[in-house]
Amino acid sequence: MKNNLKVERAIKNITQEELAKQIGVTRQAINSIELGKYVPSTILALKLSRYFNKAVNEIFFIEEGD
Amino acid sequence: MKTKLLLPNHFKKVGWILLVPSTLLGLFIIIFDYEFRFLDTKVFTIYSGSGFFQDPVFFGLIKANLTGTLVGILFLTGAIFVAFSKAKREDEFIAKIRLESLLWATYINYGVLVLCFLFFYEFEFLYVMIFNMFTILIFFIIRYYYMLYKANKSLSHEKQSEG
Repeated sequence: MKNNLKVERAIKNITQEELAKQIGVTRQAINSIELGKYVPSTILALKLSRYFNKAVNEIFFIEEGD
Repeated sequence: MKTKLLLPNHFKKVGWILLVPSTLLGLFIIIFDYEFRFLDTKVFTIYSGSGFFQDPVFFGLIKANLTGTLVGILFLTGAIFVAFSKAKREDEFIAKIRLESLLWATYINYGVLVLCFLFFYEFEFLYVMIFNMFTILIFFIIRYYYMLYKANKSLSHEKQSEG
C-alpha cells in the first residue's frame, strides 16, 4: 500500500511529532507509515482521514499485489 | 490506545533492576555450580523422589537449597517486567512490534531447542533444559528493544532531512 501522508503533512505544514500528538500515536508510527513500512489499522487511517479532511482513499492507495 | 494485559510503564525500571543482577548471578551459580549455604533449609514439596538418606515424599517437607529457586524467580519477575510493561507512549505500531517479536522469539527459541535435541544428550541436555526455560524471554527482549531502537534510528534520520 502506498500513501501520500508526507505530502498531506507538507501541505498542512505540520511535523511528524505534531501530527503524532494530534492523532494520539507515536512519532515512530507516523514515520513508519510514511516510509511504507507500516500499514495502519482502519481506526488510525480514519483518524488521519478526519484530521486532513480527506477521504481515506485519497491518502492511502492500494498497490498491485496487496 | 487501550492496552490490555500489559504492565504499567514504571514496572520496566524495576524489571531491569531485577533482571541484570539475577542474570549475572544465575550464570555464576550455573557455571560454578554454586549454592549459598545460608539458603539451606527445609521446604514444602509436592513430590520429591528418593535421595541418599531420604524416602520419596508426597506433600511434605524436604531439605533443599533455595539459591536456584530465588535467582530463578527474580530473573523471571525481572524479565516479565522488562518484556511486558507498556512503552512510555503506547500505540498500535509498538503493539505490532511487540507481537512480532514474541512470534520471532518463539521460533528462535524452539529452533535452538531442536538443534540442542540433536547435539546434546544425557546429563548435558539437562543444562540445555535449564537455559531453555529462560531464553525465550531473553530472545524476546533483545528483538523487541532492537526493533524499537531501529524505529527510533530511522526517526532521527528523518529529522535531519526535515531540516
